Amino acid sequence: MSAMTRAGQPRWKSLPGAVLAAAILVSFSLLILVPLLFMAGASLMPPHEIMKMPYDWIPKEWKWANFRQALAGNDGNWIYLRNILNSLVVSLSIAFTTVLLSASVGYGLAKFDFRGRNAVFMGIMATMMIPFETVMIPLYMIAVKLGMQDSYAGLIVPFMMNAFGVFLMRQYLLTFPSEILDAARIDGCSEPRIFREIVFKNSGPAAATLAILAFRQQWDNLLWPLLIAQREEMKTIPAYIVKFAAEKNADEGAMMAVAAIASIPVFALFFGLSKYFLGGSAVYSAGKE
Amino acid sequence: MTLKGKRTVRSLEKGRARWGWAFVAPGILFFSIFSFYPILNAFYTSFFNKKLLSLKPPKFIGFQNYERVLSSPDFWNSVRATAVFAAGAFVPLFLLSLLFAVLIVSRKRFQRTAQMALYSPAVLSSAVAALIWLLIFDPRGLANQFVNLVANTPGIDHKWLADATMVQLSTILVYVWKYVGYFTILFVTGIGKIPQSVNEAAVIDGAGPVQRFFRITLPLLRPTTVLVSVMILIQCLKTFSTQYLFTQRGAPLGPINVLTLNIYNTALRDQNLGRASVMSVILFLCMLLLSWIQIRFSRSEEAEL
Repeated sequence: MSAMTRAGQPRWKSLPGAVLAAAILVSFSLLILVPLLFMAGASLMPPHEIMKMPYDWIPKEWKWANFRQALAGNDGNWIYLRNILNSLVVSLSIAFTTVLLSASVGYGLAKFDFRGRNAVFMGIMATMMIPFETVMIPLYMIAVKLGMQDSYAGLIVPFMMNAFGVFLMRQYLLTFPSEILDAARIDGCSEPRIFREIVFKNSGPAAATLAILAFRQQWDNLLWPLLIAQREEMKTIPAYIVKFAAEKNADEGAMMAVAAIASIPVFALFFGLSKYFLGGSAVYSAGKE
Repeated sequence: MTLKGKRTVRSLEKGRARWGWAFVAPGILFFSIFSFYPILNAFYTSFFNKKLLSLKPPKFIGFQNYERVLSSPDFWNSVRATAVFAAGAFVPLFLLSLLFAVLIVSRKRFQRTAQMALYSPAVLSSAVAALIWLLIFDPRGLANQFVNLVANTPGIDHKWLADATMVQLSTILVYVWKYVGYFTILFVTGIGKIPQSVNEAAVIDGAGPVQRFFRITLPLLRPTTVLVSVMILIQCLKTFSTQYLFTQRGAPLGPINVLTLNIYNTALRDQNLGRASVMSVILFLCMLLLSWIQIRFSRSEEAEL
């Protein structure tokens, strides 16, 4: 972050220029927050207030029942609670497996010499060019063949790791001192134990970046759960949102409550760990939906 | 070194190589099954008459799927919708994120606050973003109120989700709103890498801020501008959630039937896997071309430096 504040742009010297620059920046920063404020306010309003012209930003009657209805659903079966749990289970599992498997593969590529190592690395990097949208149908057929529809395995396994994770962990571990590993070997430490006790436990910053990235990507994933989870109780949050919004009699306030609930975990992460969001390598591939 | 010593070194190396393979093995297995096999399978399926959930064995039909797809107005409409979306989102995303980045690094204070504010929509799920804007685009919603206030046209409904042209604009708006902060951060990082001494020298030589931007920042930022341009385009080709949610709520499908949505509908609704695969292959080739441009440019930049 310090590199950014020291950034190579000189300040505006003239006062009007500086004022104009600040004004543009401040007004756009506020403008971009308007839809978020709208979501927060509307999640506590009855429908007639949300659609009032002109719109009042502060709810008149604070309708907390919106949140109850968001969780209970229009059928009153409380399926959203289950879907939130599914999203948590799937996103956390994938964050964990991504870090673990990427660390293993990255370690193998960074610290071991074997023929074909470069071919393996290039092969894995090449998969970054394969967008999910082009392989989703074959993946779906594989998952059906393996009997993974409507299961956590079906939601998790195809995203257990990704090429960017391998890249990140390899780059990180290249800088890890080999002397420490050799010293452990001389002391008779087994290779799996070296990986577990020395490599994995010391890959903190890279692992945290990767875990947050994987968590967010899965929290946002709509296309795959739409395909693989047909049963209501196996859907994840984005799929529930689409279903809830598509219902004709959906209450607008409850809709915004559904959205607000879905946003709480990622916003908590964002405010708590913003350096992992705004840091260079983290944003590099965060745009992958 | 004695003969025996050499042998132990070699067997040690062999053992090390084996462990290397062991650590890499999960990756080879995973990417073979979930990346390489599916992309080959997509190519393969595109030559077959294959239906979802059909018990009949798929029939090889050569290039018929390609002929069908390439001669169908529906496919070309999707190409048009995707192109309109990509072009329409690219220009504001690129210009605004560059502008915001330049403004942010020129500030002494609140750099981080501004970045966090601009970035916050990127944190949301795409489905949530689409849902919020669905209400804003309601005939009685904020979008109409805002435009009518600014343009002084009280009581006019601009049909954000109903009109063929407007619904394209609406999906673009959602996208620009959601991702402008993300690309701003990439530009901020890129500008941060420009050596400050160059700028200081220009200030001493009496160059103004506008001159410095066009003569120094922009040329030195070229690796980042190429990277960000390609990333924006790839990102735009992948758009799905907004269009899907809007059509689920009754927006007209035609104007915003982007390729990803068409692939999804062809496979799931029409159950025609062969034709869905043809479109997947075409989308893949477009992205491959973009990735290739990105790699080529990043290589030549490295060579120059």
